[in-house]
Amino acid sequence: MGETKLKIRFYTIADFKEEEIWLREEHKKGWKLTKMVPPYFYHFEKCPPEDVIYRLDFRNNKENEDYMQMVQDYGWEYLGHCVGWLYFRKSTSSITNENDGEIFSDNTSRANMISHIMKTRMLPLLIIFLSCVIPNALKMFDSAVSAVFTVFWSLMLVLYIYLLVHCSLKLRALKKDLE
Amino acid sequence: MNDKIRRIYIPMTETGFYILFCLRKPQHGYGISQQVKQMTNGEVTISPGTMYGTLSKMEKDGLIEFFCEENKRKLYKITSLGQEILNIEISRIERLYKNSREEI
Repeated sequence: MGETKLKIRFYTIADFKEEEIWLREEHKKGWKLTKMVPPYFYHFEKCPPEDVIYRLDFRNNKENEDYMQMVQDYGWEYLGHCVGWLYFRKSTSSITNENDGEIFSDNTSRANMISHIMKTRMLPLLIIFLSCVIPNALKMFDSAVSAVFTVFWSLMLVLYIYLLVHCSLKLRALKKDLE
Repeated sequence: MNDKIRRIYIPMTETGFYILFCLRKPQHGYGISQQVKQMTNGEVTISPGTMYGTLSKMEKDGLIEFFCEENKRKLYKITSLGQEILNIEISRIERLYKNSREEI
């Protein structure tokens, strides 16, 4: 095995397009993705620089053999999965038109994937926020709680608000573009 | 045929039409996409995620059915309901074509 590197990158569930672009750039610089370790670790291996399209496909671990076979029939190389996402890549040299470089060729199926993310990822996030983060954050005003508790739940509160606002606005905008 | 199926599938998307049209003969997803590419001089490409989603939905709605498995690939073919939908769609397109020619 050649030279390898490990990178840490924070992408939320709404940033898959940016993630695809970043992985493509890395490959152009001669680093191909070999493995994903949840949640944010990317393993790369040195390779000849090449223009390779990366695509993330959200299946929420529901992919079956039929699906994997079909995607690979289309010339996509399967790299692995990470928290519900499947990672695929394909060299641009084998692409003759725009849709050859896509997992989805119409807006309905693209919008379906975004709705799937909203339902299976955003909804649980919102439930945890309302049922756990908010009640604990409110306890901070209770004088009996420790400083550690206050700091921890303040951070959680900020993190959750950021994630909820960022992801819901972005996913909604992505979906709107498709309508 | 119930109204719901009719409402969903007529008029049909280009993707849906070609898939159903190709399945008059048993075929698997990638095979369909190759056939469609050929028929349209490469202008219509159906990507795998869209192909899989459409096949699953059509199978669920009874327009197509599982035919057999070949080299780990599922082959589907059209059902009588699917053929009925396809016929309605073809006459709709014929009318559309005819009317558009008359205009010119």
